[in-house]
Amino acid sequence: MKRRTFLRTVGVGGVAGVAGCVGGNGDGEETDERATSGNGDDTTGTTTGATESSTPELVVSTYGAFVDAPSTSPGPWLKEAFESEFDATLTYATPDSEINYYIERAMRGADIDADVYVGLNVDMLIRIDEQLDDGLFTAVGDISGQGDVKSGLNFDPDGRIVPYDTSYVSIVYNETFDDGDFVAPETFDGLLESEYAGDLLTQNPTGSATGKSFLLHTIDAKGPDGYLDYWEALQANDVRVLSDWATSYANYEDEEAPMVVSYSTDQVYASQSGEDLAKHQIRFLNDQGYAYPEGMSIFEGADDPELAREFLEFVLRPDVQGEIAQRNVAFPATTTAELPEEFAEYAQAPPEAVTFTYDELRDNVSEWTDAWERQFASK
Amino acid sequence: MSGPTRGNGSSPASDGDSGDSSISDDHDVGSGVLNVPRTDGGSEAEGALSEARSAAATLRRRVEARALTLGAAVTALVLLVVFYYPVATVFVDAVFVEGRLTVEPIVSVLTSRFYLVDIFGFTAYQALLSTIASVLLGLPGAWILSRFEFPGRETLRSLTILPFVMPSIMVAIGFVATFGRNGTLNAVLGALGLPPVELLFTIEAIVIAHAFYNAPLVARVTTAAWESVDASAVETARSLGASPTRAFRDVVLPQLLPAVAIGATLTFVFTFASFPIVLALGGFQLATVEVFIYSRIQNLAYAEAAALAVVETAISVGLTYWYLRYEGRNRGSGQGARPQPRQSLWPDSWTAKATGSRVAIIGYGLVVLAVFVGPIASMVLTSLTGPQGLTLDHYLFLLERQQTGASYQVRPLPAIANSLRFGVGTLLVAVPMGVVVAVLTTREFRGRAAIDTLAMAPFAVSGIVVGLGLLRGLVFGVDAFGTRLQVTGAIAVVAAHAVGAYPFVTRNVAPLLGNLDPRLVESARSLGASRVRALVDIELPLVAAGVVAGAAFVFAISIGEFDSTVVLAEGSTSYTMPVAVERYLGRRLGPATAMGCILLAVTSLSFVIIERFGGRYGGRGGF
Repeated sequence: MKRRTFLRTVGVGGVAGVAGCVGGNGDGEETDERATSGNGDDTTGTTTGATESSTPELVVSTYGAFVDAPSTSPGPWLKEAFESEFDATLTYATPDSEINYYIERAMRGADIDADVYVGLNVDMLIRIDEQLDDGLFTAVGDISGQGDVKSGLNFDPDGRIVPYDTSYVSIVYNETFDDGDFVAPETFDGLLESEYAGDLLTQNPTGSATGKSFLLHTIDAKGPDGYLDYWEALQANDVRVLSDWATSYANYEDEEAPMVVSYSTDQVYASQSGEDLAKHQIRFLNDQGYAYPEGMSIFEGADDPELAREFLEFVLRPDVQGEIAQRNVAFPATTTAELPEEFAEYAQAPPEAVTFTYDELRDNVSEWTDAWERQFASK
Repeated sequence: MSGPTRGNGSSPASDGDSGDSSISDDHDVGSGVLNVPRTDGGSEAEGALSEARSAAATLRRRVEARALTLGAAVTALVLLVVFYYPVATVFVDAVFVEGRLTVEPIVSVLTSRFYLVDIFGFTAYQALLSTIASVLLGLPGAWILSRFEFPGRETLRSLTILPFVMPSIMVAIGFVATFGRNGTLNAVLGALGLPPVELLFTIEAIVIAHAFYNAPLVARVTTAAWESVDASAVETARSLGASPTRAFRDVVLPQLLPAVAIGATLTFVFTFASFPIVLALGGFQLATVEVFIYSRIQNLAYAEAAALAVVETAISVGLTYWYLRYEGRNRGSGQGARPQPRQSLWPDSWTAKATGSRVAIIGYGLVVLAVFVGPIASMVLTSLTGPQGLTLDHYLFLLERQQTGASYQVRPLPAIANSLRFGVGTLLVAVPMGVVVAVLTTREFRGRAAIDTLAMAPFAVSGIVVGLGLLRGLVFGVDAFGTRLQVTGAIAVVAAHAVGAYPFVTRNVAPLLGNLDPRLVESARSLGASRVRALVDIELPLVAAGVVAGAAFVFAISIGEFDSTVVLAEGSTSYTMPVAVERYLGRRLGPATAMGCILLAVTSLSFVIIERFGGRYGGRGGF
């Protein structure tokens, strides 16, 4: 995989350099390519990071909200902290289609121009392994801090992906409904009772981590043979499956319904922005939360695998783990993370965390989701 | 992406070629005869000057003679590179699986009761309802805008473009706030002592949202047609004893029907491929085909995704073809330039008829208030509301992001600047493309409707498929001649916007061109004008209303486009306002809605300005 890509625009010249070429730390290869490339109609990509020829560059690809969320995101802090300790420039890439962008690139034989991906989940890993013979990531090998990762969060049997934080998907409810008497049910079966008709908002399992986690949680609770019947009853009780988390949460905030499937860290935001916590109560159905760990890995063919490994170790360090957890509003992946006392006050962890293993999901998840889609969308 | 703005796409190279050859014979006739008028005077001037002039004139004649051919070739090339090739990289998955040619994916879609009945059947059903609702809601608007005079009429007409640029998430938020359980509508109903309505998560909510996007489309194209009705034709009918109703039915209606038909056809095609709105306001139980295409692409099940998209496209293309044949058969002749006089909204005398129509207008105004003003006003209110009540915090966030945002973050000002740049760039590319295709396809030749359909295909292909195709075809590039050819960044964005927008110009201009008396052009040609000169000097001024109306859509499509932009702006600074709205979405809706309001404000301002400009140069335009 050759990292330096040479960008050529077809058609009229004079386009500002865009996409395709990330970085440029002056390894001879790129200089050579540029030297042979120039003619008037070509535009070579400009560098997107402020780089000096002597400073190595680490291209970290991630999802948009990691660097750009309007409330809080760990990206800017992480870049600054990493650069202050290492002689390196951290450059972010945030392709809109996230990991599928790189799977597509690999499938089409296009160069991969990133070194590290931050924000991987087990679904993505299964997609990678289904589509690509060679995989996309290398086994990270022995990195310090890996031993501190909580057991149960590791979702890659081949040791390519290192978890860096986790969330728990739960129900968030508004107890001011029913004149302040609303209480969410305690079990999955409770959701089927008629008093909760039309009261639950959730999300399309495709393209929404919370919706997918909730579906998987019902499969865990009701079994692969029972979840479709359960959903039939849930649908009869007017559960609302909306497009994505933002839409369903907007409905929740407008008090269209008293319950929404979301994250168990909901009160962290609510307390930060001074909202009424009565409208942000957490319910773990069956006393369980579905764990949604996020991981990071190093691309096969990263320019500087050593620097990439240093980055992974950096992210696992106790102080950095604490910062990322707070800024990403999630739980740290390690047992050694340094967190302020008040974090635990608003970030609630479930009595029991459930999740499916990589193997169980690889063999079943498409089938489970397809069957659910067909049943739920039958008119 | 917002409702009506999707797509760009193309396919075989053949469309451009055949268009080409059919014009080039025309040119030769033109350039062979005498001079173009403006060079006449040169013959009496002295030597050098005269020679230079005649050289320039020759050059211009040559350019003019080839201009249409050249325009057609460029159009075909752009379609090929930015639409047909990229889309082909996705569609090929429907017939090539693991290197083997197969019909299995398409057959399995066509033999699945679930896909045929529950998905395609339902998708067509909601599209039909949405079309009916859009026409019913759009036509009274066209009537008022074209037949009445009142202060602010032109501004109001300009603002009818706004739904086009609304990101779907903003429409969803606005609809919840307006039609939800605790929404404005129910508050009003409650105040009037009426029972509340439950509209959300029903097919009605989807249909109303689709009408929000598409009724303005119907209204705009119909208004443009209505304003092109020649007053003298109506007066003649009246003087021959026709009643006003009869005159309307025999003179006005035949000229409006094609416009209503195109509005309805486009509405059906757009709502057939609608995606975010369906899940946001209806829910997964009302899933349409596009929901499944998205799901399959997201899970990289490309064969099934492509098969679904092929069937979806076939239906939309079939409908487009059917419409275009109708349009071709329904060309009148004779077209004047004197529009009918408008009535004052405040009638001179309150006859029964005048009173009745004013009551109807007030009733319609209330519906408009609920469907259009309500959701937009809700969005504005959301952008100004925080947990503690009214606040400017969300706008301050935008300001702060502008000042301190890092290079890898999305900042508001570049988004505004890019949107405007791309909008203007798209106008410059799409308007000539649309006019060229309109000129080509108003000629009679075998396969005209087929060529026209191919040129219209960008409307008929799923925005999700186009996005993936652009990623594969343009962003990743192809290896050729030892280098990797890629098309990304500003040029690619403008080209993709132009491809998705130019059919609006064609559809606004073609029917008007078809209505022109062919003798006008023939006379000009026999007097020595080249084909292009005849087009520019004779035809375009007569169809200016259509050109301006099409241009308005072009600009709006470019401003509102999301699917292609987000793919082509990848990793660069070419992001636009809708992309910024999406990036600012979070747990609190304030920042995203604030950006959404800026999007609306910038668009409104642009249109009010362009309308003055267009009003001066384009005559009665469609802005």
